[in-house]
Amino acid sequence: MGINTGVAPKKPSGYDMPEGDEQSAQVGRRNRRARIWMGVFQLALVVAIVALIALLYSIVNDSFGYAAVENAVDPAQIMAGVQADRMLAAANTTTSEDDEVIAAAVAADPNAIGFFGYAYYNEHADELNLLRVDGVAADAATVESGAYPLARPLFLYAGQKAVVNKPEVAAFLDYYLRHADDVIADVGYFPASAEALAAAHDLLLQTAKAGIPAAIGDGAIAIAGSSTVHPLTLQIANDFRDIEGYTGTLTVDSTGTTAGYARLCDTQDVDIAGSSRAMTRQELAACDDLRVKPIELRVGTDAVAVVVSKQNTFLTDVTTAELEQIFSGAERWSDVNRAWPDAPIVRAIPGADSGTLDFMAGAIVSGTPAQLSAAEMVPLIKSAVSSGVFRRFEAEMPFAERSQADIYALLQERVIQPSVVASWSMTASLLRRAEIEKEVFTSFPDAELVWYRWLSKDFLTSPQSSVPEQAGVRTAILGSLWVVLITVLIAVPIGIGTAVYLEEYAGHNSFNRIIQTNIDNLAGVPSIIYGILGLAIFVRALEGITSGSALGVSDPTTANGRTVLSAGLTLALLVLPVVIINAQEAIRAVPKSLREAGYGLGATKWQVTWTHVLANALPGIFTGTILAMSRALGETAPLIVIGASTFITQDPTGPYSKFTVLPMQIYQWTSRPQAEFKHIAAAASLVLLALLLLLNGSAIYLRNRFSKTL
Amino acid sequence: MAIQTKMATGTSSSSASTLADMTSGGGMAAPAARTHDGPLAIEARNMNIYYGNFHAVRDINLQVEPRKITALIGPSGCGKSTVLRAFNRMNDLVASARVEGEVLFNGRNIYAPEVDAVEVRRRIGMVFQKPNPFPKSIYDNVAWGAKVNGFKGDMDGLVEQALRNAALWDEVKDKLKQSGYSLSGGQQQRLCIARAIAIKPEIILMDEPCSALDPIATLAIEDLMKELVEKYTIMIVTHNMQQAARVSDYTAFFMVDPKRTGHLVEYGPTRQLFTNPKEKRTEDYITGRFG
Ligand SMILES: Nc1ncnc2c1ncn2[C@@H]1O[C@H](COP(=O)(O)OP(=O)(O)OP(=O)(O)O)[C@@H](O)[C@H]1O
Ligand SMILES: [Mg+2]
Repeated sequence: MGINTGVAPKKPSGYDMPEGDEQSAQVGRRNRRARIWMGVFQLALVVAIVALIALLYSIVNDSFGYAAVENAVDPAQIMAGVQADRMLAAANTTTSEDDEVIAAAVAADPNAIGFFGYAYYNEHADELNLLRVDGVAADAATVESGAYPLARPLFLYAGQKAVVNKPEVAAFLDYYLRHADDVIADVGYFPASAEALAAAHDLLLQTAKAGIPAAIGDGAIAIAGSSTVHPLTLQIANDFRDIEGYTGTLTVDSTGTTAGYARLCDTQDVDIAGSSRAMTRQELAACDDLRVKPIELRVGTDAVAVVVSKQNTFLTDVTTAELEQIFSGAERWSDVNRAWPDAPIVRAIPGADSGTLDFMAGAIVSGTPAQLSAAEMVPLIKSAVSSGVFRRFEAEMPFAERSQADIYALLQERVIQPSVVASWSMTASLLRRAEIEKEVFTSFPDAELVWYRWLSKDFLTSPQSSVPEQAGVRTAILGSLWVVLITVLIAVPIGIGTAVYLEEYAGHNSFNRIIQTNIDNLAGVPSIIYGILGLAIFVRALEGITSGSALGVSDPTTANGRTVLSAGLTLALLVLPVVIINAQEAIRAVPKSLREAGYGLGATKWQVTWTHVLANALPGIFTGTILAMSRALGETAPLIVIGASTFITQDPTGPYSKFTVLPMQIYQWTSRPQAEFKHIAAAASLVLLALLLLLNGSAIYLRNRFSKTL
Repeated sequence: MAIQTKMATGTSSSSASTLADMTSGGGMAAPAARTHDGPLAIEARNMNIYYGNFHAVRDINLQVEPRKITALIGPSGCGKSTVLRAFNRMNDLVASARVEGEVLFNGRNIYAPEVDAVEVRRRIGMVFQKPNPFPKSIYDNVAWGAKVNGFKGDMDGLVEQALRNAALWDEVKDKLKQSGYSLSGGQQQRLCIARAIAIKPEIILMDEPCSALDPIATLAIEDLMKELVEKYTIMIVTHNMQQAARVSDYTAFFMVDPKRTGHLVEYGPTRQLFTNPKEKRTEDYITGRFG
């Protein structure tokens, strides 16, 4: 109901406007129409917002997510190696491959501590005390349940060829696996689970294609390796001779696990290597390269016994953290734990070739390679790379002068070499976590599932690389900035000049009208046409100038016109209409009254144009510049035509450098088949968006500052 | 008549009576035949102005007395602004505008080919209908004109003097660095006047300077004009009959003919024009019976 609820006033003749209820109805109709339009506009807004969110989502979705990362070298292994070195280097430390020596050394000194395979503790239980580690004492139950922190599996590795070609080896292994459980407790170890033994036996049967001979009389079997496995193997070897009636040669050397592997694979003078730790992936790969193809047979479980002398009065319990300190070279007991006496720590440990040392080092070490000191990392790098490469690093910058972070980066790149073997988008990572974990566990047992940020600091600061995990956008960012800088430096002054001329000076004749029409239409020409133009003019015809050779300043990396300068010039042509049209509009928007005020004071045309027209058009001109910058930053097609580099690791240093730009990099990465490139393309898109926001933000900031001073 | 009784007195006492009938043949308004031969401030001779093909004003002959206020009145669209702007070549800014005839200023035709419009405007300043200060500080608003015209002396002194002359100094002396836009409409208009007098013109043209102002600001500007006229010649276009009567010494009345071409109907001392108009059309207009 409208306000005209009373009697409608009599309409004067010829007065034809709705009155009363009719007016209310008419107003209602108008409001309805307005609401419909509003709805349409709101819908348009929603569509725009949805599109924007979808775009952002698709980029962010690929920029973050789970990735299965496999390291060429396990960082834990590196840490174990470093820890072993620390242990060997610690003062006041006796090392020996012979556990008897260790037992004797510990027994003799109340301040001594040592460790070795559990078997030896049984032999020396009368003179040594076994320490509880993290509150757990080693016994069959705690070792099998894994509660004892220093338990480890024992293996035999047998060369495939030996198993196939030497029946005595197959027969010995068969006997070993069937009887290990009978003797292992006597030797002082703990049996492997029945399943593990069965699985090992199955593997053996599969490998020995000729079958396992029922009994074997003669032959030659050579075994080397872990001093821990040694007593077990020795016991079984004796039984094999005595009970099975084996009459051939059977040598069992205690060399340490690592040395055993070397004899199995490198020198190939043994058939079987005893081992107190699993072969690393690298060792396995190295052996496979040498055609040994070892098979892994689990034979038992060892626990490392940490022992002190019976004369020791203060130590019954120790934690792994304390063990790390104790064996890394702490000088006095009280340094490690204030409850302990102020007495020197005396250490007795297995030697460098011992699997027990490696195992212990790995079990007690804490921290990651990132925490290693430069001095600890350099030898790791040195042993991992060729001497030539190492010398090149040294020449680029002596290691002594490099920062820890710098050296760690080298360690990552050259030693650990993490590589992504599988990756997932953010949504998949969040929604199908369990599934992904399972997939990684089965398909990539050595890989670690990590939350990967494809957009990281390293990504921003690294140059392009053919390895997606190491590729970065530094070169592209710098290229983009250079190109946009040149574009803006050229397009903005020319654009403003043209706009001023057309608006303030040009007469209204048909020639100028044609120019104006042309400019308006140029804004719609496909950008690739500009690329063709740029190629013909800047890259080819003006090569002398764009390559810098005419000025004698050409960049050594390039001898042609495919430079930052050519790209900047081409993009300047491309964005020129945008700059001109925006500047013209801004100039036109300067009120006539301001110009008149200027002229009325006796100012010349130039004075009025400069002080009043341009100054007041500046915000609009900035808007045009922002649009131009955004356009230039996002252009790909013309740069492809003029020949931006698709793979370049060298930063552009000036107008005559070779270059690539961000969108180019993105385009290039999206066309790669590997999934990881999709992720870095998305990350680069985020970088591009951020760069755009940054540049536009600073332009808007400048614009606001300028308009405020007006 | 109300207008006549409200008329300001004394503004035209010095020379009004000496002006004779200006009507020439053909019923056109003609310049006042002067009885004294002091130099004129500026004079239009047979001035015709066109906008493209449109003949906007025809045959204007107007002799402007120095250090007097001359008001241009007439109905809307009769060409007052067009004529006023012709006196400092402001019409040059309109692409389609064309001025024929002569405008003599200090014995020279300002439309002569060798004369630069910039020079003319430096001598003949202008204040517009809508206050149009620059989007700059108050100080810069006043100083800019002087600066572009090559003023080398004590700029602060010049600014102060111009603002004092424009009766604005006391109101703005503490905020010279603030934007000219921060002032009220009336203050802005006085700032524009200060800006105009800072370049030391001989003539100030004002096109309806008070149309955007309230009565009090209008009175302030009128008082200001009365002060300024001691040093400057002022020409003012106004629709306000009382204003013309109050402040001006001479009044020129314009009309349009059936082809909408403006022409000068009557020109003479204000008192005479308002109390005893020669032309019937003038009387009809100033008494409000027409237009
Ligand atoms: N820039 C222009 N181009 C074309 N015609 C114009 C232009 N300016 C004014 N005219 C025309 O010239 C005539 C005189 O205009 P002018 O502005 O001088 O009138 P005026 O007397 O100042 O009117 P008002 O009192 O409304 O300001 C009018 O018919 C107008 O339409
Ligand atoms: Mg007007």
